[in-house]
Amino acid sequence: MLLITCPVCRAQGDETDFHCGGQAHIARPATTNPEGITDEEQSNYLFTRINPKGLQFERWRCDRGCGKWFNAARDTMTMEFKAFYGATELPPADVMKQAKGAWVDYFKSRMKTSK
Amino acid sequence: MLEPQHESALAHVGEPSDTYISIREILTRGMIDLRGQTADRKFMSVAKNVLGIDLPKQPRTSHSFGEVKALWLSPDQWLILCSHSKSAVLQAELASALKETHALAVDVSDMRSIIRLEGEGAREVLMKGGSLDFTDGALAPGYVRRMRFAEIAALVHIVEHNIIDLYVFRSYAQYAFDFLQKAARNGTQTGIK
Amino acid sequence: MTKPFRLTEGGNRIDRSKRITFSFDGRDVTGFAGDTVASAVLASGQKLFGRSFKYHRPRGVVGLGSEEMNALIGVGADAQHEPNLRATQVEVFQGLVCVSQNRWPSLRYDIGATNSLVSRFLPAGFYYKTFKWPRAFWKHVYEPLIRRTAGLGKAAIGPDPDSYEHMHVHVDVLVIGGGLAGLVAAETAALAGAKVLLCDENSELGGIADLTAGMINGACVADWLAPLVVRLTDMPNVQLLKRTTAVGHFYHNYLMAHERVADHDPALLAAGAPRQRVWKIRAKHVILATGALERPLAFANNDRPNIMLACAARGLLTRYAVTPGMNGVVFTNNDDAYLTAFVLKKAGVNVQVVDSRARPDGDLVNQAQAQGIVVSLSSVISAVEGTSSVSAVKIASYRKGQGRVITERKVLCDFIAMSGGWNPVLHIWAHNGGKIKFDEALQSFRPDTHRDAITAVGAANGTMSVKDTIGEAHGAGEVAAKAVLKKAKAVKSAKLQVKEPKRGALEALWFAPATGQANEGGKHFIDFQNDVTVADLELAQREGYESVEHTKRYTTFGMATDQGKTSNLNGLGILAEATGKTIPEIGTTTFRPPYTPYSFGAIAGALTKELFLPVRRTSVFEWHIEKGAVWEPVGQWRRAYTYPKAGEDKTQSIAREVLAVRNSVGLLDASTLGKIEIKGPDAAAFLDRVYTNTFSTLKVGKCRYGLMLNELGFVMDDGVTARLADDHFVMHTTSGGADRIAAWLEEWLQTEWTDYKVFVTPVTEQWAQFALAGPKAREVLAKMEPDFDLDNEAFPHMSFKLGKLGGFPVRVYRISFSGELSYEIATPTGLGLSLWKALIDAGADIGIAPYGTEALHILRAEKGYIVVGDETDGTTTADDVGLGGMVSKKKADFIGKRSLEQSELTRRGRKQLVGLLTEEPNEVLPDGAHAVAAVHDKPPMKTIGHVTSSYLSPTLGRSIAMALIENGRARMGESISFSLEGGKVVKAQIVDHVFYDKDGGRIHA
Repeated sequence: MLLITCPVCRAQGDETDFHCGGQAHIARPATTNPEGITDEEQSNYLFTRINPKGLQFERWRCDRGCGKWFNAARDTMTMEFKAFYGATELPPADVMKQAKGAWVDYFKSRMKTSK
Repeated sequence: MLEPQHESALAHVGEPSDTYISIREILTRGMIDLRGQTADRKFMSVAKNVLGIDLPKQPRTSHSFGEVKALWLSPDQWLILCSHSKSAVLQAELASALKETHALAVDVSDMRSIIRLEGEGAREVLMKGGSLDFTDGALAPGYVRRMRFAEIAALVHIVEHNIIDLYVFRSYAQYAFDFLQKAARNGTQTGIK
Repeated sequence: MTKPFRLTEGGNRIDRSKRITFSFDGRDVTGFAGDTVASAVLASGQKLFGRSFKYHRPRGVVGLGSEEMNALIGVGADAQHEPNLRATQVEVFQGLVCVSQNRWPSLRYDIGATNSLVSRFLPAGFYYKTFKWPRAFWKHVYEPLIRRTAGLGKAAIGPDPDSYEHMHVHVDVLVIGGGLAGLVAAETAALAGAKVLLCDENSELGGIADLTAGMINGACVADWLAPLVVRLTDMPNVQLLKRTTAVGHFYHNYLMAHERVADHDPALLAAGAPRQRVWKIRAKHVILATGALERPLAFANNDRPNIMLACAARGLLTRYAVTPGMNGVVFTNNDDAYLTAFVLKKAGVNVQVVDSRARPDGDLVNQAQAQGIVVSLSSVISAVEGTSSVSAVKIASYRKGQGRVITERKVLCDFIAMSGGWNPVLHIWAHNGGKIKFDEALQSFRPDTHRDAITAVGAANGTMSVKDTIGEAHGAGEVAAKAVLKKAKAVKSAKLQVKEPKRGALEALWFAPATGQANEGGKHFIDFQNDVTVADLELAQREGYESVEHTKRYTTFGMATDQGKTSNLNGLGILAEATGKTIPEIGTTTFRPPYTPYSFGAIAGALTKELFLPVRRTSVFEWHIEKGAVWEPVGQWRRAYTYPKAGEDKTQSIAREVLAVRNSVGLLDASTLGKIEIKGPDAAAFLDRVYTNTFSTLKVGKCRYGLMLNELGFVMDDGVTARLADDHFVMHTTSGGADRIAAWLEEWLQTEWTDYKVFVTPVTEQWAQFALAGPKAREVLAKMEPDFDLDNEAFPHMSFKLGKLGGFPVRVYRISFSGELSYEIATPTGLGLSLWKALIDAGADIGIAPYGTEALHILRAEKGYIVVGDETDGTTTADDVGLGGMVSKKKADFIGKRSLEQSELTRRGRKQLVGLLTEEPNEVLPDGAHAVAAVHDKPPMKTIGHVTSSYLSPTLGRSIAMALIENGRARMGESISFSLEGGKVVKAQIVDHVFYDKDGGRIHA
């Protein structure tokens, strides 16, 4: 039974008070550019997920509490939560640094666009 | 003229006698679901003008003024308590005062049933159905939290140390009542300190 | 049996002033208060407790407590029966009923024991090798046979009359185990200010302090602990739970503990106590003080009744004044078992020691010799004589590593106490990823590292001395308190004078050689409960089961209800010797919860019977019951399916209800429909994004039917949305979708279109909502004192009124799911029943009929309206169900739009919604029946689609169906075949799916 802290209301509770929404940081192409989406982009958006052994970034909802969505960085091997952060935010810099594999490229590109 | 009769979800259920705390339905409360942004100063001040109290900004807290209480539900949602007969008027006042503001006030007086737990073991009984630590000193009178209770969604409001109101969606009232009655049955005290 | 197995004095657990009589296998046994079933039955002279799993060999008590693997009993009568409990843990009380297990027809005359005679033909993997073919025998011959012979206790029959419950608790420090280490750690943590919970599986705290050598400040260990227990009991920040087994450790220091609240005392049960309780514990820090379990030794016929662990013999004497016999042999490879010899000798039992070590030099060995106890060093037991008990042993000389017997001599005896050393109890440590390491001195594993805040102390940590245990426990209590408290008080460790014997080293002994065939290990039992021998393990190695996990599954070693508590390490020792590897190289099998089995009743807790599944009730629930409604579960809701009158069957009442709506008027409780208030300056734009069709163009006061897709482009939900104001809507969803859709809207607002100013408030339960439908609906409504105009022009189809019906505040939507003139009337739920009754009264003289969900479904099917979840299945598009016209071509984006262009969704040949008329009008196709391209004698047949809804239509007087059929719309008029069960073939013609009132005139009436 995971122990989770909602970064919005700071409530701490059992996993059963929360709802996991799968991988975080998936951009929806149709929101920004509904006309110019290739089949491949759409299919990636719908089906391709990063699923690492180790540090994962995922969405959770404070389901039985304040009702807000947020993001979490969780090690899928140890179940340790490294950070809880807002639904529209990037993870804290020190946690982002620990990311491996496909996440590295993702965060690099996000940092570029935010500059 | 057609005269409506109001009937609560637990109208047909008596107060149980074989329990170590008292369990009964609170019938006289009106409820308004109020939405607006904590960061929206105008909203906060209009709401205060109508209700006579500041909407609480701190998570899991409540403010009260006379019979009006404001329970924090989320950064953009509060449950306003008042007497059942006044909820329609208060809702209308809020809606009209908040007309120029991004807000939503809905009378939800009939949406939830309120079950009051009273007595020495009230907190223990709640811990049989939910994972919240009611022995924690931080859970003092005024504390509000939504939680999973038994198999359903619930909201707890600590009125006094040993008086706790459990709000459940009306359709689940019987289920919640049955669970509480079983959990509070005489002889089932856990001995927890 | 005439020997005095119960000594005249002693026994620190029993109260000789209270005699207890209970029943074991139908025989009355008398013991004392404080006895266990094991001690009382042994005191009565009976050694035999059960038959082994595979060979049905006679077995007796081996262990001291929860590690017991042989003496499993079923406790309680009838529905209260619980199988597989350990006789060493079950406390006796007046009237207790228990039985032995795995024997037929009786314990003494067991037919299955013939298995033992053919045991040479039942080696490891016997079942896998034998019951392979013929295939037809699996189900009807082999499985029933195996199930009858194998297995342990029998499950209770009938509903369990007792109650169970769960309790959540949060603590700073959880201490598991109430022996010396646990009690000291608990007191230290509590004195430092921590909130402490200590649980222990036994009925008394103290662990095996009473069986431990040593003096603390001049008192024996048990006496030193007694006042500590009293202090802990009185501390306000300490909770002590006896008879409570920590069964599992899970992520983030979440633990489950099983408390046997009233099993030992029927008076508690009668006073209302739950029989058992599961504690769900979240601990900031866990201190593991679970102690250690003694290992058996592997020698030929080591499973005979009256061969037990040294600590068990010591415990029986010390606690219950019961001796297994009057002439015993202690067989050991370590010093600890000498304590058993001392206790036996002191009680007047004749005892000698067989020690496999050549030169043990510990204090206890010297003490034994000084006491005149015969000690045979460099010796092992090479044979045991006797079948249902022990009559003699053979003692052979032995040198470490020696594999065969050179000389042996016979010694008469009536019991054996054995000790192969001690294994720290690592289960809880290892359940959730704790690492373990091999300790050469212990010849066992001990805790290494753990990612959670958990510390092992005392014997659980491999620390066997009293002095070191106290120091370690004190330190751990302090560290735990410091880790979890902002300000922990300093706790001074008391100055203690600890005197304890110096211990000599243990020497591993995994296999005691025997003579002749017995030296092959076929009677050297490793896993007593599953009858796994040394020979089985060696065979598995020879057959190539290299991994210990494979060996475990092949031989079933460590797989019984005791999960290898006493057998795992001995098995690893055998495997190590057989392969020439070290034990750490062999590795261990996985430790899985629970530590000891616990009942399904406890797992279910309070959530049984009426609490098994929450049932949601509308405001009219009690009225539905009064009127004899048949229920249909819709999600957790109970909805009235139909209301049969006296003399009607369900088909008749449904037909009556349908015709009432078509010809007159009906009333439906539609309160379960989802209702969501949506408000804000961007509300209309938001709805344009969540629905396929457009809502920004909807006029205030009007309603529109909307279709929702998920991001994959498939139909997800539907319903009517009404516009209350420019910036304010009320959305209706399906009953099942109410919570899901509200959450769905929130999710998009919070995570994708965060700049939208929209609030979404679900209000499903605020409103009771009733559909008043039928050509005479207006007539009934007119009688309800509306304060608004009902005229068709003032109040047309797809519009709504906010107003009053007499004193009832209402929202009235003129919308229809039946195809008739229809009003959905919503009023606050508390007034629901009152309004419902008023409507029934108002319609009484024109024959208003309450109608249920089945009539509703028939009415909508006659009109060809879809139900999400019937006509759609999560892979169905709007176009598939003929609603392609509702998908906006103008809007740049809405949820699911882009996916509609993906190849799978645009491909030709997708299944399309059509109507079906069977050739035989009374033939109703089964729901889900598949249409086939061509009928063959037997499957496979190519399917071209399936029935989604199928009814006997009372309106049309014949059957109708809707189906999803490949290219359905291009096949109008075609006849297709359905191949049903039993070779039956039904033919039906493809038609338009609107069967009634095709031009839709009636809803505008």
